Amino acid sequence: MVESQDAKQPDASELERYAALLDEARRIKGTSLWQDAWRRLKRNRLAMISLWCLVAVAMLAAFAPLLPLQSPLDKDLKDRKNLAPGFRGQRYWVKLGERSDLRFASDSLTAELAKFDDEVAELKTKVRAASGTDREQLLGELDGKIHNSDPLEKLWHNPGSIVRQLLRLRIMLFGDWCLPSLFGTDDLGRDVLSRVFWGARVSLIVGIVATLVSLLIGVTYGAVSGYLGGWIDSVMMRIVDILYSIPFIFIVIFIITILSAEETKAKMDALGINQLTVFYVLIGAIYWLTMARVVRGQVISLKTELFIDAAHVVGASRARIVFQHLIPNVMSVVIVYLTLTIPAVMRFEAFLSFLGVGVQAPDVSWGLLVDEGVKAVTPIKIYWWLIAFSGGALAATLFSLNFLGDGLRDALDPRMKNR
Amino acid sequence: MGESLQFLFRRAGWYLATMWVVYTVSFFLMHAVPGGPFDAERNLPPEVRKNVEAQFNLNDPLPVQYFDHLTRALRGDFGASIKIPDFTVNEIIGQGFPISASLGLFAMVFAVCLGTTAGVVSAIRRESFVDFSFMVAATLGIAVPNFVLASLAIILFVFQIQLLPAAGWGSLKQIILPAICLGAPYAGYISRLTRTGMLEVLGRDYIRTAFAKGLSERRVVVRHALRGALVPVVSYLGPAVAGVMTGSLVVEKIFALPGMGSHFIEAAFQRDYPLALGVVVVYTALVLLMNTMVDFSYAILDPRVKLGEL
Amino acid sequence: MTEPLLQVDDLRVEFRTDEGVVRAVDGVSFDLAPGETLGIVGESGSGKSVTNLAMLGLIPQPPGRISSGRALYRDEDLLTANAQRLSQIRGRHIAMIFQDPMTALNPFLTVEEQLTEVTRLHLRHSHDEAIAHAIDMLEQVGITGADKRVFDYPHQFSGGMRQRVMIAMALSCNPDILIADEPSTALDVTIQAQILDLMKQLQTDHGTSIIMITHDLGVVANICHRVLVMYGGKIVERADVDSLFANPRHPYTLGLLDSVPRWDTDITEKLRVIPGQPPDLANLPPGCAFYPRCSYREDRCQQSVPPAIERPDGGDFACFVDVDNVKPAEERT
Repeated sequence: MVESQDAKQPDASELERYAALLDEARRIKGTSLWQDAWRRLKRNRLAMISLWCLVAVAMLAAFAPLLPLQSPLDKDLKDRKNLAPGFRGQRYWVKLGERSDLRFASDSLTAELAKFDDEVAELKTKVRAASGTDREQLLGELDGKIHNSDPLEKLWHNPGSIVRQLLRLRIMLFGDWCLPSLFGTDDLGRDVLSRVFWGARVSLIVGIVATLVSLLIGVTYGAVSGYLGGWIDSVMMRIVDILYSIPFIFIVIFIITILSAEETKAKMDALGINQLTVFYVLIGAIYWLTMARVVRGQVISLKTELFIDAAHVVGASRARIVFQHLIPNVMSVVIVYLTLTIPAVMRFEAFLSFLGVGVQAPDVSWGLLVDEGVKAVTPIKIYWWLIAFSGGALAATLFSLNFLGDGLRDALDPRMKNR
Repeated sequence: MGESLQFLFRRAGWYLATMWVVYTVSFFLMHAVPGGPFDAERNLPPEVRKNVEAQFNLNDPLPVQYFDHLTRALRGDFGASIKIPDFTVNEIIGQGFPISASLGLFAMVFAVCLGTTAGVVSAIRRESFVDFSFMVAATLGIAVPNFVLASLAIILFVFQIQLLPAAGWGSLKQIILPAICLGAPYAGYISRLTRTGMLEVLGRDYIRTAFAKGLSERRVVVRHALRGALVPVVSYLGPAVAGVMTGSLVVEKIFALPGMGSHFIEAAFQRDYPLALGVVVVYTALVLLMNTMVDFSYAILDPRVKLGEL
Repeated sequence: MTEPLLQVDDLRVEFRTDEGVVRAVDGVSFDLAPGETLGIVGESGSGKSVTNLAMLGLIPQPPGRISSGRALYRDEDLLTANAQRLSQIRGRHIAMIFQDPMTALNPFLTVEEQLTEVTRLHLRHSHDEAIAHAIDMLEQVGITGADKRVFDYPHQFSGGMRQRVMIAMALSCNPDILIADEPSTALDVTIQAQILDLMKQLQTDHGTSIIMITHDLGVVANICHRVLVMYGGKIVERADVDSLFANPRHPYTLGLLDSVPRWDTDITEKLRVIPGQPPDLANLPPGCAFYPRCSYREDRCQQSVPPAIERPDGGDFACFVDVDNVKPAEERT
């Protein structure tokens, strides 16, 4: 391809033809592919149902703080242990912060929150009025107050600023009222319904972030390998082959033991890295192999297609060809594999949490919930609701992702059916 | 024959290199964890502790420990377990290995038999009710994590209808449930692969040739289509083996089977360095061995594949 | 005239696709005499392969459907025969060879396995008989060292050799009819000639009738006695080979003949091509399917399908226009 450029300049009409070809290729691959795929996808009823299920799950998870749910953490060992799901034997009126051990003002979150806000506001005015060492001392006090006695912290684990806003909004909307324990409660008296919702957030975020990490590594690796070709390609693919045959679970567990050691935790806190973040990246970093292989295959087959030639002749640079032409064309394959990687990653998260090396309490994820549920299975009494709802939510999500992935694969590229 | 031998030798080279990398990475990762195996035992007087640590060479500089352990490991001796007194790692693995290996083997056999049969039936009766229900079942198998499946199975078969024993090891009855739970996702995936592979092969020219020769549908499917349809299945078996081995960690935990995997996680967290390393090395070797068998069966299945080129 | 071996009557085959129902074969009738070689010529998509696959029940159903017609082989309708009876006929009495010998042989089985299963099934040969017969057949099609090569896999043969294997396989039960679907298209020119010679030779030896499906008029001239020209799922002209080449009556036949390079014309003259694309069978125009591309077209061609008109020298053609007395469009101005 390069030689032809050097050997003789193609005449003008040839150039025009190539330019036209390029244009056409762009048009075809750019718009009609996606419209076509969407049309085909819409006809696949299972895939569409799955798509809407996933949208619903994602929305519910994203806005879980807004819903009138109980606290996912608050334990009540006295009289709410192992309540069966449903309405029987339950009060319809569950109030946030009503448990006396919380020592909330008038046993209500709203009252306690109002008290807290007042105290903070009072401190703030004092800070504004004071000066010198007094001010320093008051600032410290304010800081301590915000960090240690925020009532939200007692009911929700480490809420970020956005979650905090959402929770405040929810309190404005619903006050102290929340849904009764429709899904029952666990052996520590925690509400399973709200735990399933909050667990969804962690599970979905792990799925998405880890998949993005794997996407980044896999696509770059595969595209570079396929595009450069030759011995570099063979070496890079040989490495992938080797990595395939390593049982990564062990390496992951080793790394997690390092992460969960107190000293490492302290170091990471100093750097401002969350343990969960490392966890996402770690999972993503081992799920890129298939993606790399698939992308490489696609790049190699695209490399020989005419419109890439056309881009060469028109004089596009290598980097431009990769980013402008190859990557968009690889997208369809990548999207399909994304829908397969997300469930795989989520399963792996659940798997690790189940083994006790994944998400750590007080964070909740579906895997962790299932683990708790399994532990509660005994020959004497089966608290089936501990496992059924979390397991069901996990399975349904993975199920939908699988069906959506299949549908997308058929819709985007019927030829890929056989890979 | 020469070709196979050459293949084996080259494979062995790659595998030794892979094992060495896994060993080394694991060794240093494990020792990168702050603290030592005896941190938890607070009452240990410093002298005693020093003695105990010396017994496991824990006071040597890390590179010395590494070469020490490596040379012994190369001779097949992984030393004594730190946390399980009076047992060598070899003894512990020796007890756990048959359990993990037979669990994995049963699971794979189950997955392959069920998966290919369901896949072939689905492909032949495509778009029928049978095909649809197989597809839903397969997707369920893939989607439901095997520990969820395992716990549901325990609730159902063990506690509710009391058909099978829940835990323990020894009889065939005790292996059925764990093996099925372990193999189910792979059975699902294999059935999907077989189905698509079968559909693709059934569209090939040589199938039309076979029909044009007057062969019955059954014969065309079994003799002409099946082998081609199984090629993608076989290339999936490598990753599947690794997956089954990984999954056995969980299944052993749920069913309380005394396999190798059950020791690993404890060993890793309690800093039982020799035991954790031993388990990792044995697992890796097992996966690599299975992969070699997969490559061989690939060459047996498809006459165009030359082992020398793999 | 002898009783025809095969009689096809008003065969119609439809395919259901996303774009609508495609009439791949639309009312095709022809017959085949014993020992005859019948050529079927046409572009890809003209329905020539589908016609023959449909007769043997090799159309995948769905999406395909045979909506009408009869195909009588020795007074037995193949289209209504049950699967078991069809299996008995396929490979035994009517055999097929396909275009691409690279893909038409099963790569997973040895040549021996593929050859012997036909004779063991149809002729009830024992294992040893079947192998001996297979070697004999391979020798007949000119494969040297057949006694060893019979145990090789297809990928160990070259393209031409594979086509010879295909022919050996098709002829191993000594069938009445051999349907050859573009047997030489995928091969090099020299190999093509060898394969055609081989087929002619075998036809004289065994007296087999051949249906030769091709888009190559050279092949037709070389091997066929009679020709059907197909376009858009219909037969547009049929005649003896010599008459057809000497006196083509349908504009499409004319176009086909014009597009063959000839040694006896001025080399400065550009090779003529038929303009336009093969018709979209899902949306055929109401009149003649060739109308959009025809240089002799008239208004009435758009209104109704031209009926078959007898040729003076036997055979027929389907066109309103008398091509000898009308100038083509490009010469009219």
